[in-house]
Amino acid sequence: MNRGASYWTLTYAALFAMAAYNLTPFFWMVTTSLKTDMEVTSFPPTLLPAELTTGAYARIWSQEGFPLYFFNSIKVSGATALLSGAIGILAAYGFSRFAFKGRTALMAAFLASQMLPGVLLVGPYFKMLSALALYDTHLGLILAQTTITLPFTIWMLKGYMDTIPVEIDQAAMIDGATRWQCLIHCVLPNILPGLVATMIFSFLLAWGDLLWALCLITDSAKQTMTLGITNLVGQFRVLWSDVMAATVIGCAIPAFFYLLLQRYLVQGSAGSAVKS
Amino acid sequence: MLGEKWTGYWFVLPGTIMLAVILGFPAVTAILESVGLVGGKGGASLANYTRLLGDTQFHATTWNTLVFVVAVVTFHLVMGLAVALLLNLDVPGRWVFRVLAILPWTMPDVIGGLVFRSLFDTLTGGVNAVGMMLGLMQEPKDWLGSPSWALFSVIMAESWRGYPYVMLILLAGLQSIPRDQYEAAAIDGAGWWTSLFHVTLPNLKPMIVIALVLDIVWECRLFGMIYGMTGGGPGDATQNLSLMVYKQYFQFFDTAYASSVAVVLAAVLLVVALPYMRSTLRKEA
Repeated sequence: MNRGASYWTLTYAALFAMAAYNLTPFFWMVTTSLKTDMEVTSFPPTLLPAELTTGAYARIWSQEGFPLYFFNSIKVSGATALLSGAIGILAAYGFSRFAFKGRTALMAAFLASQMLPGVLLVGPYFKMLSALALYDTHLGLILAQTTITLPFTIWMLKGYMDTIPVEIDQAAMIDGATRWQCLIHCVLPNILPGLVATMIFSFLLAWGDLLWALCLITDSAKQTMTLGITNLVGQFRVLWSDVMAATVIGCAIPAFFYLLLQRYLVQGSAGSAVKS
Repeated sequence: MLGEKWTGYWFVLPGTIMLAVILGFPAVTAILESVGLVGGKGGASLANYTRLLGDTQFHATTWNTLVFVVAVVTFHLVMGLAVALLLNLDVPGRWVFRVLAILPWTMPDVIGGLVFRSLFDTLTGGVNAVGMMLGLMQEPKDWLGSPSWALFSVIMAESWRGYPYVMLILLAGLQSIPRDQYEAAAIDGAGWWTSLFHVTLPNLKPMIVIALVLDIVWECRLFGMIYGMTGGGPGDATQNLSLMVYKQYFQFFDTAYASSVAVVLAAVLLVVALPYMRSTLRKEA
């Protein structure tokens, strides 16, 4: 179609306006993290750093224990992704390939559990962990995160498995394969990209969580990234360059993976309802 | 679908146990606690719920949540639709803008809260700096220190962070609208606005409903963003229901009362999500 010059001008003007709107807070975050102590506390503030320094990064990395928080977040989120992936594969296969009594009710329960607010569950769960001596452990946090990511993992994986014809399973079983071998050798290789995407979503959901870490972890050596950053904001004096340096590190991993997995995003949380 | 009735149960067993123990058990405990059957002394009673009716803090918090959710979700839908329409155009370099378009949503919500707290800071924040540079204000405004401006600021922050997800759902919907409908409309002499209202929006309606329901659920239970930006303050001016439950439970240790607030919130969310859940189950199960 032939479009006039004004069409292109307007379209690109709108696109650039959107980009500027989206990038402004990121711009503020990055530039603030690169300011010197003097500049970041001066009034009026500068929009561009007069002098660039990576001092804030060095400080939070060497003095504030952020390598440890970073490692803790990787550990908790990684374990969550693996565990919910493993349990999710089994459940998704069960829902996708078998008809059994209570199947729809169970699927409905998994779906409804995604709508519950975290604050409803975290209090009683905290008491439960205390009774089991699992309070203030990464295991307790990982189990909670896994259960939160499990429902969408199951729904997403079931959606992928439904696209693999049942005839493949049947042919393999005629050749003497067990159910287990069908799942491992016929189904999983075919849904591998979807499986990886789903597990990365679990990882990122756990990575971004604050509520559960805040309520279940007190030992500062066990803090996750988000909790460590939140605790960096003191009551009286906030050195914003340090806080912003920590948020840049906390944002980098999710930004990278979400952009990589763009085309899986919609299926990710809106689930199969989005498929027409 | 294949037979072997019992094999299916084995596959879904581990997941079901986790759901029952880690989500089901706490959810039921919270309900029992709110009616005094767990941890309480006097036996079953609805005292916590009657207390809700007369608690001005609960009323104010519910009002905050309502104002926040209505404002944020409205912004998300309008902005999400506008950007989705824009990205659906066939322009060179579209993928770059697509990448930029989802960036805000990749930011963990508590980090978004802290970044906006810094932006809205009275003396060192960028909002006041730009406002004064452009001559829009004479002296720095204490955005997060005044009750009504604090709620406004939190709404601005979450409006920014959350809209790309709504946009992605709507963009997926736009891309599935058959082209011939637009061609037919064009032959009938329809302009851009006419096709928007007579072709695009009617076709997009199911996606709009899904986006609306999911966004309402997420914004109703939002925690990290507000905790990071204002902690619910000043006073209780930006406190939403999630923050109120957290504070009652973990700071004031009034766990039974906290549970009753949480149960009310959960019930509202489940009712809101009911149409979405029914259509998903009908399609998939």
